[in-house]
Amino acid sequence: MPFYRSIRSRKKRRKINGDFELQLTAMMDILVIILVFLLKSYSAMTNSFTTLPGLKLPVSASMDIPPDSLQIIVTPEGMTFESDRIVQFVKTADSAVSDDANYAFKPNDLDEGGRRIVPLYDALIKARDKAELLRAKSRARDEKGEPLPFEGILAIQADKAIHYETVRKVMYTAATAGYRVFRFLALKRDS
Amino acid sequence: MLKRPSARRKTTREIQLNLVPILDAMVTLIGFLLFTMSFLSLVSIETPFPIASSEINQKKLKEKPLQLTVSLRENDVRIWTPFDKFEPKTIPYLEEGKPDVPGLHLALIEIKKLFPTETQIVLAPYAGTSYDILIAVMDGLRAIEKTDPPIFMDNKETGNQELVKALFPDIVFGNLLGDS
Repeated sequence: MPFYRSIRSRKKRRKINGDFELQLTAMMDILVIILVFLLKSYSAMTNSFTTLPGLKLPVSASMDIPPDSLQIIVTPEGMTFESDRIVQFVKTADSAVSDDANYAFKPNDLDEGGRRIVPLYDALIKARDKAELLRAKSRARDEKGEPLPFEGILAIQADKAIHYETVRKVMYTAATAGYRVFRFLALKRDS
Repeated sequence: MLKRPSARRKTTREIQLNLVPILDAMVTLIGFLLFTMSFLSLVSIETPFPIASSEINQKKLKEKPLQLTVSLRENDVRIWTPFDKFEPKTIPYLEEGKPDVPGLHLALIEIKKLFPTETQIVLAPYAGTSYDILIAVMDGLRAIEKTDPPIFMDNKETGNQELVKALFPDIVFGNLLGDS
């Protein structure tokens, strides 16, 4: 009776030993190692800076962690201020044959002899007005009872290939909009 | 059957630690850490927009400032001062478009030894300097590395000599209004 035997043997196989226990020690070991690694590499940063895909930031030996502030990201494709693309660069004729950042401003985007970036200036003024309004409504006051003054700090993230000429235009534009301090962001060099 | 007293005291019961709650806590902790941790570690170099000092302030100054200036040019770096406080120095680039940052750093250490209390430096890069080189040069201007020779300065309040911890940390761009 082969059929009968097979059913009986299948029943035997289904039996589970009541004393079976999952061995958790090995899993605990792995989790402890992961936890130690994460705690070692955890950095409690208080800022919310974001980057763009494809942005190649330089590496710096600076140890200063930037506090939260308004930020502009400059790539060979364009400028992004607080997650909004405000300037789109045009490719120059050299860009087809060279890997370097060959980009240029549209003529309408510049004024004051090519020094000021108009869309960036407008965006910075808008952000400044908003910040000052929030400060006026805030309960935080200085010694004279006046609202706290506008800090005027701008963080600049730029691609490795961006030229100083562009960075200078950004700084000049920001200065004309009342921003007086610039923070150049870079990746932290591994010590 | 009677046992010896030493044998009676023996307990054969195995104690097993309940690891499940610990495991739960660890999984929660790992999830929290992964969710909140920043994989991108950013640092910053701060620089103010230069402001021209008024004539009154200039008259108040008893002696002319150092106004140490580093000009990044197309083929070399020039360290100079408009008030002839030291001999200007020119450092040629190592490769095309790449300044000799270690050489610049060493030259600035020598100047820092002459003016240990000075913290400000004016940087004037040429228009084609890349952001990468700008950051590398600014690092070379600001920090004193562990391998650098120690520089001491006199503390007028205590009368003691103190170790200088930074080279020229206050960087100001000198050609923001220029076209070169």
